Amino acid sequence: MKVSCTVNGDAVELEATPDEALLDVLRRQLDLRSVRPTCGIGVCGACTALVDGEPVSTCLLLAPLAEGREITTVEGLGGDHPLQRAFVESRAFQCGYCTPGMILSAKRLLEENPSPSAHEIADFLSGNLCRCGCYLKIVDAVTRAAA
Amino acid sequence: MSEAPAWLAPTSLAEALELKAEHGGEATVVAGGTFLAILLNARLIAPAKYLALRDVPGLAQVEANGELRLGAMATHRAVELSPVVRERWPTLARTFALVASPRIRNQATVGGVLADADYASDPPALLTALGARAVVARKGGGREIALEELVTGYYETSLERDELIVEVRVPPQGRAVYRKFRSRSHEDRPCVGVAAAERDGELRVVVGAVAGRPQWFPEICEREDPAEIGRRYADAIDPISDARGSAEYRRRVIAIEVRRALEELWSG
Amino acid sequence: MADPRVTGAARYAEDVQLPGMLHARIVRSPYAHARVLSVDASAAGEDVVVLAPDDVRGLRRYGCQIKDQAVLALDRARFAGDPVAAVAAATPQLARAAADLVEVAYEELEAIFDPVEAAEPDAPLVHDTAAISDNDAAYFDLRPQSGTNICHRFRIRHGDPETGFDEADVIVDETFQTAGAQHVHMEPHAALARWEDGRLELWTGTQTPFNLREDLAGIFGIAPEEIRIHCPPMGGAFGAKTFVRIEAIVAALARKANRPVRCVLERSEEWLTLNRHPAVIRVKVGARADGTLVAKRVWCWADTGGYADCGPGVAQKMGFAAPGPYRIPHVWVDSRAVYTNLAPNGAFRGYGQMQCVWSSELAMDLLAERLGLDALEFRLRNVLREGDRYCTGEEMHDVHFADCLEAAARGIGWHDDARGKGLAVVMKGMQTPSRAGIAIERDGDRFVVRCATAEMGQGARRAISLLAADLLGVDVARVRFPDPDTHLVPYDTRTTSSRSTYVMGLALERAVGDLREHGERGYGEIEIPGGLDPDTGQGVASHHWHQAAAGAEVRVDEETGKVEVVRLHAAVYAGRVVNRAGAELQNEGSMIMGLGTALLERIDHADGHITNANLSDYEIPSFADVPPLTHDLLEREGGEIHGLGETALPPVPAAVGNAVASLGLRVRELPISAEAVLAAVDEREGVRA
Repeated sequence: MKVSCTVNGDAVELEATPDEALLDVLRRQLDLRSVRPTCGIGVCGACTALVDGEPVSTCLLLAPLAEGREITTVEGLGGDHPLQRAFVESRAFQCGYCTPGMILSAKRLLEENPSPSAHEIADFLSGNLCRCGCYLKIVDAVTRAAA
Repeated sequence: MSEAPAWLAPTSLAEALELKAEHGGEATVVAGGTFLAILLNARLIAPAKYLALRDVPGLAQVEANGELRLGAMATHRAVELSPVVRERWPTLARTFALVASPRIRNQATVGGVLADADYASDPPALLTALGARAVVARKGGGREIALEELVTGYYETSLERDELIVEVRVPPQGRAVYRKFRSRSHEDRPCVGVAAAERDGELRVVVGAVAGRPQWFPEICEREDPAEIGRRYADAIDPISDARGSAEYRRRVIAIEVRRALEELWSG
Repeated sequence: MADPRVTGAARYAEDVQLPGMLHARIVRSPYAHARVLSVDASAAGEDVVVLAPDDVRGLRRYGCQIKDQAVLALDRARFAGDPVAAVAAATPQLARAAADLVEVAYEELEAIFDPVEAAEPDAPLVHDTAAISDNDAAYFDLRPQSGTNICHRFRIRHGDPETGFDEADVIVDETFQTAGAQHVHMEPHAALARWEDGRLELWTGTQTPFNLREDLAGIFGIAPEEIRIHCPPMGGAFGAKTFVRIEAIVAALARKANRPVRCVLERSEEWLTLNRHPAVIRVKVGARADGTLVAKRVWCWADTGGYADCGPGVAQKMGFAAPGPYRIPHVWVDSRAVYTNLAPNGAFRGYGQMQCVWSSELAMDLLAERLGLDALEFRLRNVLREGDRYCTGEEMHDVHFADCLEAAARGIGWHDDARGKGLAVVMKGMQTPSRAGIAIERDGDRFVVRCATAEMGQGARRAISLLAADLLGVDVARVRFPDPDTHLVPYDTRTTSSRSTYVMGLALERAVGDLREHGERGYGEIEIPGGLDPDTGQGVASHHWHQAAAGAEVRVDEETGKVEVVRLHAAVYAGRVVNRAGAELQNEGSMIMGLGTALLERIDHADGHITNANLSDYEIPSFADVPPLTHDLLEREGGEIHGLGETALPPVPAAVGNAVASLGLRVRELPISAEAVLAAVDEREGVRA
């Protein structure tokens, strides 16, 4: 079936079966690789995209539910977004696999709460896992971006 | 190669109920779809038909007159962030905010969490303690089901095959607390969840995440000593053993957390 | 240009694709121990390439230290999840569907899941024979015990503990256990293979390209030079991406299909591929009333699962670090790698040190308590100092254990009030012996580093680039460090053991010198000698030692047993820091992983089946689990670079355990569960269950 939506600012028509996750369609059809199949149960956040500005686990979003929505992946941030710069300045990553999800979730947080405390940042991002353990520096990065 | 499944997307409640009556259990209802997708990803299910409620108007409201009316398609985030819920049902807003992560809460719905009847959930226990009712519709009729009668076992509800939850109605909140005890990570699902609510002098204590259905014992709630109520709840429940704790451990924690919930409730 | 990790441009092993590639899916034994009677793939379909036992029967066995693995489980499956067949199809979905149609007949055999039981002479044997590998990774003399499940036995014989214990006023004799754990690297195992004219080309996430190449050459009976391995960056590894994992199956499928074949594992399969050694460790340690240690006897059983992998090396390292960084006149250690019918266990950040530090440091606190001595003072009295000899006979140099302990203690306010606080110190060996080569090529006004050090997020390549730039006298922007390619980089033992920055740094000095002399290309190599006699434990265990101490402060909810770490500090000896941000990240990451080990992570199994193979039931630390956490990097003028990839992990669980114990709550097992703490409360209060 066809699913019409906007991805990183471009109107697209996705081709998907109803039981496909948006994650697989974004990777297969649009070659957006920043969203990654990792846990399959929505707990790690490595597949995070913003749907109408809200972070969502794309591994749990059936493709038809993306109809009419605006989807943003980290590829759509332009490369020089304050959060992207802040993550680099704060060295808030090691392997980088979780980083796109972290950045997108942080983006939403800062829209809701422009000056979050370290505790508020940790709380909001706590559903994004980082096995390399960059949590302290990620909190620094988000704080830096908020400033 | 099997055919792609069918995606049914009704645009009115009447149409949705018509389709539900026609296909019954053969069409898997899609609200937010998070629980469904987990089962799909694990290849535990492979539905041939989906019945999506996304385009049915009037199911996503979060409004109040005397009672709070939560549309079945209202997301957890909508409840968590709603000004009216935060002001007048603050414990409910806080409890929905405790579920999983913002990502899940952006997708998972009020109706979904009840219809899935996943035992390791937070909202059902509190909704039961608040005296909430599920408004259920079917083609040509409907009924209300008290929350304590909705979930009947592990992943089982009392819904008939042609019924859909359309709304959850919550009476005004008096004093209420919800305690989510996690035995491991801060991100863990509840090991023991305790909801305690008082209204018009009536106390309800409901323990969730320990058995197939939220556990409520009205006669024990007539007692007055928090520690005694805790002990009696612990004795009355036959808890599950899972990754978050053994049955014996849960029993110990039930006694403690029920007592603490009541101490919190009655501390003013 | 922004870092690819923040723009979505990062590409890992799982991203490598080739046109026309097929996708592989492994068929796995559902039984922990069973004879494989027949494999019938007739229902799999015509467009599916099947790898059945007969396809690989002629291929040689492999194994980095013991040659006990076949490409598919031929005679018997030795753990639930052991690959018995594999298929390749046009899409991953088709491959999965085809794999489900392969019918395998088994005859179940008696299985064993406990390493102590498995080590007994009458235990059912997981392997009938043990052939020692000639892989470079078998860098020490192996001692498989014929007719038993013990695939390596390491011993230290230093003095005579029985005499020592006679002199002791207090003796502690306790047994400790540590659960298995999963690395949970976020990127799964991923490999892509293709053959051309009898030569194999492989793209895989691996920390050990040359060891892998050696084993693959042996398997397929071709020269190592006929195999080319490309090493894309990995989304985390932590030891899991070492030696042969899925590469042999993928290569065998590619050869049969005559097309490229790729395999990316599903998350649940990661618990069936490589895990961390569960261990049972008994410690008997004695001291005089004045707090001087006199004797220590340690017995370790490292559960290596159905295949040895580098279990012998882990058992050896566990064994030689088990005495701890202390002066003890009489030390005997017996450490065994034991087969069981569980998934194979191998390299895991810390490499055996976490398990023995848990045991040794908890025993030290017990001893301190019975002696009536402060736990820090007791350690400082006995800790190794510059010039002391360790029980292996080697002289200790560049020793800073006391500094680390004192810094850790300060970090948690030990001297204010020690209640609810715990300390632990670690001595960790670095891969010894080892060798490394590195080349530098001039490319116009830039330089290219040819080096096998693999990128898994640890930043070693950044550090090596900084060292190169410094030696060359140029800005680091002019130094390029491409992904390792075994055709283009010199030999290196492997990227493990926190050795790369140090060892490559030494080789770099020689390479730059060579470049200066010869103009276009410079090559440098370094060989680090050493090693231990496995029967006596004498020799040189480690060229230099990774040293750290941790301090933890906890609050315990004694009604639920829940432990909250309220402060965590680690002091790590770094010698010389090259990449400061990278060093901080390594310390923080190690400490957080240590917390996971301490409180959260445990592989659960029933009848050999893992019951929590998903990230909801098996939890790793999240943001909100991290307590106020600080660390020191101890340096000194002229100090040698000391690797930091793992050092801060092993002392963390022991510090937490000692903090809990300081409240009178005795725990002996990792992870420290709330349930176990509640039981400890009952024990302390004399409450009967």
